[in-house]
Order: sequence, then structure tokens, then C-alpha cells
Amino acid sequence: MTGTALSLSELPSALAGKFPGKVTPVPGRKDMLAALKVLPEAIVPVSQFLRDQGTFEHCALVSGVDWIDRIEVLYHLWSDEYKGYLELSVDLPADEPHVASVTPVWSGANWHERETWDMLGVRFDGHPDLRRVLMPEGYRFHPLRKSFELREPEELEVKARHV
Amino acid sequence: MTEGESSAKVITHIRETDPAEPEVPFAEVEAVQAKEFIPVMKETLTGMIQRGLEAATKPVFNWAGRNSLFPLHWGLACCAIEFAAGFGARWDGERFGVVPRSSPRQCDLLIVNGTVTWKLSHKLITLWEQMPEPKWAIAMGNCATGGGPFRTAYSVVPGVDKLVPVDVYIAGCPPRPEAMLDGILRLERLIRERKG
Ligand code: SF4
Repeated sequence: MTGTALSLSELPSALAGKFPGKVTPVPGRKDMLAALKVLPEAIVPVSQFLRDQGTFEHCALVSGVDWIDRIEVLYHLWSDEYKGYLELSVDLPADEPHVASVTPVWSGANWHERETWDMLGVRFDGHPDLRRVLMPEGYRFHPLRKSFELREPEELEVKARHV
Repeated sequence: MTEGESSAKVITHIRETDPAEPEVPFAEVEAVQAKEFIPVMKETLTGMIQRGLEAATKPVFNWAGRNSLFPLHWGLACCAIEFAAGFGARWDGERFGVVPRSSPRQCDLLIVNGTVTWKLSHKLITLWEQMPEPKWAIAMGNCATGGGPFRTAYSVVPGVDKLVPVDVYIAGCPPRPEAMLDGILRLERLIRERKG
């Protein structure tokens, strides 16, 4: 993609032109090339654009933060061209958060999204195999939610089973 | 009452049997009793021989078993480092005949040396059930004994005795290799006392 790649200075205007009103820069992130807040419905086209035109070919991390009033899902993208990270974030409602999966764009996002589902209960629509990854099947909680309280071990108990 | 009358009476008394009960010839009774007697006697004799053999060999097997405990070479967390040190040159657990083996089929001792999570729990049970009887389990360290520092965590089994029957608990976070060897020697004493 290096032939058609935009330079870093062209990227904000290109994004604003292609996705008007859907992408807003988040100021004050010195450790990243840029941080962008994306509307949930635009995450897949924006990802596609950044991968193909912006050379962000590596999705390094998908994670989430529970802000109690909303759930924020973060995507950290690495570009070998610019030698730096770009942060995308989407805000989702705290009850039944769900967003389109970026696994079709970066296959490496598969297990990251599974982990975010496991820990925070964010559903990724269109994910090929959205199962728990760190907790056993049959676990009843999403333990990184702020509403999850420390509780007696008996309550957590999962029936041990053979596979 | 005359003498004749009295003897006649005795005879009639003897002949007074229950009419409902059919008369069985004596020889047949003998045969039936023998048929029942032979297998019972056989069982008793073989049982006696078996028990005698068992009583004679059990101490031998017990002695051999308790002096060559083969633990499963299975490291889970930080306690596994102490487990490894215990079988290294300095503490040398093998001088007690304790040799870690890599297959559960060859082991009779499961040392759970680390934090067991719920995700891992069914693997632990599978390994335990793959080990042939007689077998023993040691919970090494606070994590295996009762969840340790992670007792209230969302993912940790609070004590492996919820999953497998544990014989000896070793306290410590982590227990020193001496403590682990002491636990194994205590298990040996336990096996000797059980005589099984
Ligand atoms: S008891 Fe302590 S040393 Fe052992 S596995 Fe648990 S945390 Fe690690």
C-alpha cells in the first residue's frame, strides 16, 4: 500500500473529507500519532480506510473501559510507515453495548474482541466466533465491569467439566 | 398306664410329622447339602488364601509404593519454581525416590503447585483421573490450599480440595523446597499408617 499511502499530515483532512461528522480528534494524547473518537456505526469503514490508505496494517490491541455511564472500546493501530500508534475509540451505551466487529478488517483482532466480550460484555456484531477466551464457558459474569463486586467463591463456582 | 401303651405312644409321637412337609430320603438331603457346601467352602478357602496373600504382600507393596512416589511434572505458577528447585542439585528430592514423571499414567502423586483457575479446573480433574490407583494429592502453597492471595479473585479456585481429594497441605507463599520435601515425607508416613 506504500504507493498510494497518504502522508501523516494529509490523514486528518482525508478522514474529515471521507467521513464528515463521524470522526473527531481527541486532543492531548502525546504518546500517540493521533487519537480519534469514531461513531460506532462508522468503525468498520474508518478501519478499512485506515488500513488501506493510512497503512495501519496492524491492529495491536482492542480493549475497553467501563466509565459507568458508557463503555468505551479502544483500538490501537500500528503503522510501519509512520512508526507509531493511532488510537480509535468508540463510546457505547452501558446497557447492552454492541459494535460492529473489525475482525474482517484485521484478523488479529479476533481474540482481542473475544477478550473484550469476556471481560466487559461488549458484543461484536459479525464476529466469526464470539466465545469467552479467559473465563470458562458457563461463567455468569463480565468481571471487569464496575458493577461486578468481589463475592464469595461459592457464587463464582463453575461446574468443572471434561472436554 | 402300662408299659406297652407308653412305648406305643412314643413311637406315634415320633411319627407325628408335618403332613405338609414332603418326606425327603436321607441320601438326597446329603447330596443337596453337599452341593451347597462345596462352593461355600471353596469361597471361604480362596478368600482365606487371598487375604493371607494380601496380608503378606501389602506391606511390601506399601513399602515399595511409599518409597518411590512419582509426582506429576506439572508446574502451574510461582510455587512450581520451588518444586523445580526441590528436585535440583541442592535439595535433590530424588534421594527420597521421588522422581517427577511427565505422564500422568506413570504417576501416583499429584503435587498441585500453584494457582488453579476455573478455566483450568477440568484439566486438573482430567489429569487426576488419568493417574492409576493408588494415588495421592498434595496441595502445595497457599494458592492450592485455599486460593492464597487471589482467594477473592473472579477467576481462581479457592482451594483445589474442591476438585480433587487432597492428602497433605503445605503452607507458604511459596513454601521453601524443604517444606515441600517435608510434605512428601509426611505423605509417606501417612501411607505407612494407612497400611493400604
Ligand atoms: S502460593 Fe504464593 S508462591 Fe505459590 S503459586 Fe500462589 S502466589 Fe505463587
